[in-house]
This record gives sequence, structure tokens and C-alpha cells, in this order.
Amino acid sequence: MFQNFRLSMAWLHTWFGLVLGFVLMVVFFFGSLSVFDREIDRWAIPSSRFAPQPMPSFDTILKPAFERMQPDKDAIALLDGRVDGPLPERFEVVRSWGAYTTHRDPVVSVFAGFEVPRAKDPDETVFASHALDPRTGAVLPQGQLRVGSEFFYPLHYSLHLKWKDLGTWIVGFSALMMLAALISGVVMHRKIFREFFTFRRHKTVQRSALDLHNLTGVVALPFHFFFAFTGLVIFAGIYFPVAHTQLHELHELHERVEARETGLPHERAGVAAPMASVDAMVAQAQRRWQAKGMAGDVGFVYVSHVGDANAYVSVYRAGTDRVALTGEGIHFKATTGELLREDPPRSAVDSVNEFLTGLHLQHFRHWLLRWLYVLGGLLGCVCIATGFLFFVEKRKQQHAKAGSAGSRVVDALAVTTVTGMLVATMAMLVANRLLPESLADKGDWERTVFWSAWGLAMLHAFARGGALARARMNPAWREQCGLIAAGAVTAVVANAVTTGDHLGRTLAAGYWPVAGVDLSLLATAAVAILAAGRLGRRAKATATGQSPAVLAAAEARHG
Amino acid sequence: MPSAAMTDLAPTPSRAPGRLPPLALLSRIGAAVLGGYAFCWGFIAVVHAGLYGLGMPFHDAEHLAAILGVLLYLVAFLWTFAARRVGLCWAVLLVGGGLMTGAAALIQRALLA
Repeated sequence: MFQNFRLSMAWLHTWFGLVLGFVLMVVFFFGSLSVFDREIDRWAIPSSRFAPQPMPSFDTILKPAFERMQPDKDAIALLDGRVDGPLPERFEVVRSWGAYTTHRDPVVSVFAGFEVPRAKDPDETVFASHALDPRTGAVLPQGQLRVGSEFFYPLHYSLHLKWKDLGTWIVGFSALMMLAALISGVVMHRKIFREFFTFRRHKTVQRSALDLHNLTGVVALPFHFFFAFTGLVIFAGIYFPVAHTQLHELHELHERVEARETGLPHERAGVAAPMASVDAMVAQAQRRWQAKGMAGDVGFVYVSHVGDANAYVSVYRAGTDRVALTGEGIHFKATTGELLREDPPRSAVDSVNEFLTGLHLQHFRHWLLRWLYVLGGLLGCVCIATGFLFFVEKRKQQHAKAGSAGSRVVDALAVTTVTGMLVATMAMLVANRLLPESLADKGDWERTVFWSAWGLAMLHAFARGGALARARMNPAWREQCGLIAAGAVTAVVANAVTTGDHLGRTLAAGYWPVAGVDLSLLATAAVAILAAGRLGRRAKATATGQSPAVLAAAEARHG
Repeated sequence: MPSAAMTDLAPTPSRAPGRLPPLALLSRIGAAVLGGYAFCWGFIAVVHAGLYGLGMPFHDAEHLAAILGVLLYLVAFLWTFAARRVGLCWAVLLVGGGLMTGAAALIQRALLA
């Protein structure tokens, strides 16, 4: 079918790269933002702008909060069709409580899992989750959205398509295609070392787009390969649910054996029993870590079989000082506080797995690496965007002559996913600052603004696509760059006006979560203005008949 | 554009009929996506069950199988596009996947017995 190996790889690269590139753009961009998800949360929820806190007291802060928790209407709605008979008013049997925090979190995330009566799958669990102020135990206002960790981050790996994990599957397939695109891209370009140093900025758009595509693809190749690969490893249990389907019985066998070996009960006893002081267990866990010479920050506290005689408490060390996530779990009998088990040191396979997933999820403390992640992610965006540009530039003359709409559609979709995505992001941040804090379902409004703005950006991109029919550049690129700049500046001003935390104050106080978001927004505005200016000059030159190369030479002379 | 041919190998966007017969193309994409998935499912299942049977901890076997399985999927996918005959790909991927899935089931039965 294909004449040779390189042509087959080129076909794969072009067409799978094109179709899934739109998804990958979203994944790379919101992945880059997710590196600073907690900081974006601070910006979006002014009442949470205080210093990161250690894990609060379980007995006085967390337990009362857990006892008030019930799943919200969205979580219950997902049970539709999975239960025989009506759903209960209250979920009484608590399977688990969990509290999680990192060195960047002022708020602590808590969740509770409940047994679902009459569920078709007896293991069915419905969850409630909140963010708490660890100083008081107050739940953060329910309607407010933690824009970074609850919107941008899930968008990165699930596209917010929750139905049957559809979004996670699409992202997973795109990640596999990212790996395939990286390999097929290398196969296509034999002179890879030379191309690494080639960037003909002043040639045609097609040339420079391809050069930039190759440069960003090659310079960040290990980064891109690693992140696409580890992303797949993190969700391997969803993509290949072997242990929960075909090998379900083996899994059950293992859990019974494990429960026997570790002394951690697999099932509830069915006898209600009160809990001893969890704070005492946490203190003991910290003493035990200290005895091994390890820092004692608690990252995760988990209670299994809550309220039952078989309940046990697991205390895990935070992942601040190493690549692997929380670990070194120590387990206590919840009714007495008696030590049940200390996790053994990691096995070789577990170390590899924790290293791969931990390096992707990066809960450790290393700000330089964090910024390099952002840089790598944005290089990925440049690589994908220039891929689109090259695809369009290569074909638009021919399509314009033949009257084909192909490059026009691809270009409009590229505008939508590149600048349109940024327009939507800016619109959401502006809405976050302008909508009143007291608005019920404020978060839902912010989501609506995000998707509507993106939809409008798409309409705009298609409406302005007529230029492609004359083999010109779509003016929507330039216009949306202008919108991005306006949105970014508006967001910074709105933050200053609504919260008083302007850059003068946040920089003076060294409050980097908010100052960093503001500065990043201003940097985005600057880049968008530069891009809009360049595109504007190019459009004028094309209109007056100057070739882009002449214009570029003129630009170079003027510096 | 004199130098355009240097690195750009992607087929030029011509509508010439018959260059990429749609059925053959669909079959190839299907073999790569579905056949590759079936093959990797079988691989992950048999490695997981097999290593557990050989004494590796359950979740270690699960993770190792998944890490290798993801890389194998990538290889199977690329191979299907590079291979001369797509029928062979379908056969290898489906039969291989089926055999490994069956082997995993047998190992599980033996371990449960």
C-alpha cells in the first residue's frame, strides 16, 4: 500500500498527527497550566490566599468535617442505572475517608467514599469531596471552582468528558499517537542532527513553520516521549483493566492473601465500633519515620471501613522530598491505635513505577524543574501548532486553485485550538474575577463562559476563513491574538481591583502564587501583542503585493 | 520552493484515485488500533498472571505488565503501518492476542485451584 517504510511513517505522522493534534494541543497546554494548578487555585479563590499548611489535626478538624460529608448531586446522578430500586436520601455506610495535602496547598482535600445500597456492582462506591480550610475546618464555598486543580487539570487528562471515561480514552489514544508521531517524525527526517540547528526564520511561512516544528520536536523529544508514555502508564489500569475484568478472581485471591499477610482487614466486620485518637497514630507514624531519618510531613491520611470494628488508619508521608508520590505507609487499628503494619521498602518494579508516575505528577519540591515542565509543555504546543501551520501552508495554494475547502477547515480548527483555547482560558479567568463571590454555582458559570468563549472563537475562525480561498492567511489568527492580550490584561486588572492584590503588593510580599499568575498573564499579553503586530504587518505586505520574504528582510534590517 | 523536498516526505495532497484505497486503509487502521489493543491485552494479561504465578507481588506484576504493554502497543501500531501485508498483521495480532488471553485464563484457573 505504501511504497516504502518512510512513506508509511510519513502518512501516519501527517494524518494521525493532524486529527489527534487538536486533542494533543489541549493536553499539552492544560498540562502546562496544571504544573501550577494549586497556584491558579489561589488566584481564582481569594479566600484561600494564605500560606501552605501542614496536615491539620484529624480529631478536632478533619473528623467533624468528614462526619458532615455526603455525596453531591452530580456524583449521585452518575449512579443512574447502576442501582436496583431508588437511591437513598442519605448514604450511611462509609467505606473510606481520605485527607490529602502537599507542600503547595493552603487547603486540604478531603474525600469520603460511601457504600451504595442495592448497587448492581457490590463494590460500587459514591464519593464526596471538598476542600477544607485546615485552620478552621470550614469547607470552601461549594459553588466556587478551583480553576487550576478542578478544571484545567482534569481537562488535561479527561477533556471533561466523563461519560464512560470517554475523554480519558481519547487522551490516551492521542498520547499513543504522540509516541507514534515522535518515532515516525524521526524516521521521516534522516538529517535530524542538522535540522536541530536549522531555523530559517526569514524564509516563507511554510519553511519556518517546518523548521520550528522540527526544532521543537527534536529539542524536547525526550521530554515529550517521557510525558506521553508516563501518562499512559498512570492510566494503564483504565486502558487495560485486566485486573478488574479478566483477572478479577486472581485479584480477589491476592487481596485475601494480602489481608492475611498484612493483618489489614479486607472486609468490614459488620460490628460498629468507635475510633481511637488518630492524632496519636499520626504522631507515632512521624516518630517512626524520624527514627529512619526521613522527614515527617504527612501527605495522606486514609481510614478504611469507617465506623466498623475492622476499621484501620493508614498514614503516608508527603512526596515533598522525592520523586515518588506519598509513601512509607504505616497502618494502625482504628479502634485501639495499635500498630498493624509498616510498609516494607519498595520493590524494584514498584520503584520504577513510582518514579515514572511521580516524575509526571511531580508533587516534589523543585521550582526550577517545575518551570522546565512548563517550558517543555509549551514547546510541545509550538511543535503541534507549527505542524498545523505547515500542513495548511503546504496545501493552501493548491486548495485555493482547486476550490477545495480542506486547508480552510484545518486552518479554522487550528485557530480554534491554538488561539481560541487561549481566548477561552482568558475569558474564564476574567469571569472568575468579575462574577460575584456570592453567586450560587459560580463555578458552573465560569465553565459556561469557558466553553461559550471557545465556541465563539471557533465560529469566528470559520467565519473569517474565506481568506484561505485566496491563499491568504486567516485574519482570525491576528484578531484572536488581540483578544488574548486584551483578556489577559483585563484579568490582571480585575484581580487587582476585586481583591486588592495587585502586583505591587504581591511582589513586595513575595506572594508568588498570585504574583506568578499575574506575571504569566502579562507575559502572555506581550507575546500575543507581538504576534498580532507581526501578523498585521504581514497581512498588509501581502495585500500590497510584497512577498513575505521581502518583508522579513525589511524587518530584519529594522531589527 | 526549491528546498521543500529536502525533509518533507508527506504524500502531496492529491486526490488521485487509488493511491490509498479506502478499504485497505481502513483495514490497516483497524488492525493497528483494534488488533494492537487485543494483542496488548493478551500480553498484559499473560505477563501479569504469569509473573504473579512465579511469585512476583500482584501489583508489581500488574505494573510491569502495563509498562511493557504500552510500549508493545506502540511497536505493534508502527509495525502494522510499516508491514507490507495487512492480512498478516491482523492474523498475528488477533491470534497472538487470543492465545495470550487464553493462556492468562489458564494460569488464573491453575492459581485459583
